[in-house]
Amino acid sequence: MFPAQGAEQVKKCSPYLGLVFLVTVCFTLATCLQCRPGQWTARAQSDNFLNVLLGDGRRMFANHFFVKADIYFHSGYYPSIFEQAARQSIDTKHMTEEPHDEKDEKEEHEHEQTMNFLGAPKDWIDRFGRHFYPSSHSHLEKPGDAREILPWLRLSADMDPERIETYTVAAFWLRKRLGKVDEAEQFLREGLRANPTSSEILFELGQLYFENRHDPVRARNLWELGLRRWQAQAETSQKPDDGMYLKLIINLAHLEEEQGDLRKTLYYRELEVKVSPQPIAVQKEIDELKQKLATPIVH
Amino acid sequence: MSAILDIKDLCVEYRSGGLGQGTKLAVNKLNLSVHTGEVFGFLGPNGAGKTTTMNVLLGFVNATSGSASLFGVDVREPIARQRIGYLPELTYYYKFLTAEELLRFYAKVFGIPRLEASKRIDQLLKLVELESVRKRPIKSYSKGMQQRVGLAQALINNPDLLILDEPTSGLDPIGRMKVREIIQRLKNEGKTVFFSSHELGEVETVCDRVAILHQGQLKVEGRVNELMQQYQSNLEQIFLKIIGYQPAPQP
Amino acid sequence: MNTILALSQVVIKELYRRKDFYVLFVLTAIITLLMASANLFHDDKIVRYLKEICLLLIWLSGLVIAIGTAARQIPAERENRTIFPLLAKPVSRAQVVVGKFLGCWFACGVALVMFYLFLGLISGSREHEWPVLSYLQALWLQWVFIAVVIALVLLGSVIFAAPSSNGTISFVVVLGIWGLGRYLHQVALQQAEPIRTLLSVIYFLIPHLEWYDVRDLVVHSKGLVPWGYCALASLYGAAYTAFFLVATWLCFRRKALNK
Ligand SMILES: Nc1ncnc2c1ncn2[C@@H]1O[C@H](COP(=O)(O)OP(=O)(O)O)[C@@H](O)[C@H]1O
Ligand SMILES: [Mg+2]
Repeated sequence: MFPAQGAEQVKKCSPYLGLVFLVTVCFTLATCLQCRPGQWTARAQSDNFLNVLLGDGRRMFANHFFVKADIYFHSGYYPSIFEQAARQSIDTKHMTEEPHDEKDEKEEHEHEQTMNFLGAPKDWIDRFGRHFYPSSHSHLEKPGDAREILPWLRLSADMDPERIETYTVAAFWLRKRLGKVDEAEQFLREGLRANPTSSEILFELGQLYFENRHDPVRARNLWELGLRRWQAQAETSQKPDDGMYLKLIINLAHLEEEQGDLRKTLYYRELEVKVSPQPIAVQKEIDELKQKLATPIVH
Repeated sequence: MSAILDIKDLCVEYRSGGLGQGTKLAVNKLNLSVHTGEVFGFLGPNGAGKTTTMNVLLGFVNATSGSASLFGVDVREPIARQRIGYLPELTYYYKFLTAEELLRFYAKVFGIPRLEASKRIDQLLKLVELESVRKRPIKSYSKGMQQRVGLAQALINNPDLLILDEPTSGLDPIGRMKVREIIQRLKNEGKTVFFSSHELGEVETVCDRVAILHQGQLKVEGRVNELMQQYQSNLEQIFLKIIGYQPAPQP
Repeated sequence: MNTILALSQVVIKELYRRKDFYVLFVLTAIITLLMASANLFHDDKIVRYLKEICLLLIWLSGLVIAIGTAARQIPAERENRTIFPLLAKPVSRAQVVVGKFLGCWFACGVALVMFYLFLGLISGSREHEWPVLSYLQALWLQWVFIAVVIALVLLGSVIFAAPSSNGTISFVVVLGIWGLGRYLHQVALQQAEPIRTLLSVIYFLIPHLEWYDVRDLVVHSKGLVPWGYCALASLYGAAYTAFFLVATWLCFRRKALNK
C-alpha cells in the first residue's frame, strides 16, 4: 500500500523532478564554462577575436552616438545623410570651442556656412514641413543644457573605448560648463587606461590640472609625458598630428613662463617657431625672451 | 399572401480557382418565393447551392444575373436586412466577447434602445439556456453552446423572417429537438422561417412547404402534404428519386 | 452612427483583451527606466536623452500597435467568418470600414495617452518642468499620423490576402515615407531624367508623414509648432485618411465574401 502510494507520488512529481534536473544541468554547465571566457578573452587579445566579432559594428555605433552628441549640441538642427551627401561633411571640432573665445572668424563663418545646409525651400511641402523640426542653426545656450550631450558621449565611449575624441570632448564640457572637475578627471583617466599612448588625453588632463586644480607641477608632468608620447608616435607613424604637438608646446611654454623658468620657455618657443603657422610673432617673443635672459635680474 | 422573400431567375457563377478552368454554375435560374407565416424547407444534397442562395439573400455574394428581394427591397440594400435573423452554417462569433456582450453589440447594430435590449437579451439567453455562462467568453463554449449563441443572435431583433442555414447540423438529438421546438414556436408567433437542411425527417414535421435543389437547379417545389400525395411516398423517397439516386443492387 | 460606434467598441475591446499592448507598454517603461537608472557623471538632471529614447519607443510601439490591429481587422473577420453574422444585420460595408477605422484609432489614442503620461512623469520628475502643451501637441500630431497609417493599412488589408504580408508591406511603406519622404525631392534633383520625374511625382503624391514627427522639437525644448500649421497638417492628414478610407470602401464594397 505504502510503496504503491510512494510510486504514485513519484510519478506525479516526475515532470518537476525532470525540470529540477535540467536546471541543475544548466547550472553545472554554466559554472563549468565560467572559467572559459577568461581563456577566450586571453585569446581575443592575441588574435583580435573580439575585434573581428564586433569591432566594426561597435565602432559604427560609437560614431553614431558621437554624432548624436553633436546633434544635441545643435539642439536637433543637423543635416541628414542626404544633405551631407550634397555638401561636405561637418567636422565636430567646433564642439570644444568656447563661444566667447577669441575665435577664428573665418572658421566660425565656415561652420555657419556648412550648417546652412537647408537652403531655400524647394517646394511648398518642404517649406511647410520646416515648422515641424528644428530648422535654424544654434548652439546650446543655457549653461545647464551642456549636460544633455554627455549621455551620448558616455555611450560612445562604452561602444568604442579607443575613440579619443569622446573623452576629450566630454571632459571639456564637464569641467568648463558644468564645473564637474572630478568627473572629468575620472573619465579622462578611464580613457587613458584604454589608450595609454594618447597624447590628446594627456594634454586634456594637463589642462584640467593647470586650469581647474591650479597644480602646475602635475600639469607639467602630464604635458611632458604627452610630448614624449607624441614624439614616440611621430617616429612610428607617418602622419603625426601637428596641431597636438603645437598645443602641447605652447601650453608648456606658457606654463614655464608663468613659473618663471625662462630658459625652458625659450626652449619650447624655439620648438614652436619651427612648426608655428605664424613664425614671425613667435620669433618676436623669442627675441624678447633672449633679451630678458641677457639682462641680469636686478634684485 | 404576399411574398416576403422573392428570388427571380437567380444565377450565381463561381470562377474556379485555376486559370482557364472556366466557371462553375452554383445556382442556375432559380425562382422561389416564400410567403408570410410559412416555414419553408430548402432541401438539397451537399453542394446543391443552398448556402450560395442564402449568401445572395444576405448580400455576401453578388448575383451573376437575376434578382432577389426581401420584404420587397433589393438584397443589395443593407436596410433589407433590418427585419431578418440569420444563423450561419457554422458558428462564427467574436471569441473574445462574452455571450452577453455579443448580443448587446448586435442589439446596438439594430439600434435597439438599451433597456429594451437588456430585456431581450435576458429573454433570449433564457430561451437558449445560456444564462449561467453569459459572462464567459465565447471561446470557452462547446460547439452546441456556440450554436445556441448563434440562434440567440439571430433572434435579437425579433425578426419577421429567419434564414437558418442547416441549423441542426452537428447537434446532438436533444439539441435538434430544441431547435425544432424553437422553429415551431416562432411559427406559432407568426414568423416566417426559411431554412436549409438535409435532415428530411425533421423537415417533414415542421415545414409547410419545401423546395428541392439539385446541382443549382430547382427540381420540385410545393406543400409537403401535397407532394407526399402526388408521389405516394415520404419525403425521403421523393428526395432520393429526384436527385436520381440508385440504390446499389443487392447481391 | 450607432452602428459605427458599436463596431469600434468591439475593436477596442479586442485590443485591450489581447496582451500585446501591455507588453509594448511595459517594455517601453522598463527600457526607459533602465536608461534612467544609469549613472551619468553624477548628474541626475540629464533628461533629453531619456525623452529621446522614450519617444522613439513610443513611436515604434504606436506604429506596431496601429499596424498590428488595423492589418488584422478585416482579414480576421473574413477568416473567422464573423463578418457573416455581422453583415446579415442592416450594416453596410462602408459602416464596417469606418467602424473598424474609428475603433483602431480610438484604441491607439488611448494607448498613446498612456505612453505620453509615462513620458511626462519621467521627464517631469527630472527637470521639474511640465511642458504640457508641447506634449499635447506631439500627442495630437502623432495621433493624426496614426490615423493616416490605419487608413492605409485598412486599404492594404482588403487588397492583400494575407494579413501578415499586408502588415509587413505597410510597415516598410510607412517607415519609408516617414524616414525618406522629406528628402525625396532633393534626391530626385540629383538623378537622371526618367527617375527624376518619377521620384518627384512620388514625392508630391505620398502623405508626408514626417511632418507629424515633432520629436526633435519636444526633446530639445524648441517650443511649439504654430497652432495654425498644426491645424493645417491635421487637415492634410484627414484628407489622406479620408482618401484611403474611400479607396478601402471601393475595394471592399463589391467583394464576394465566401472564401
Ligand atoms: N467560393 C467558391 N468558389 C468556387 N466554388 C464554390 C464556392 N463556394 C461554393 N462553391 C461551389 O458551389 C456549389 C454550391 O455550394 P453550396 O452553396 O455551399 O452548397 P450547399 O448546398 O451544400 O450549401 C458547390 O459545388 C461548391 O463547390
Ligand atoms: Mg451549405
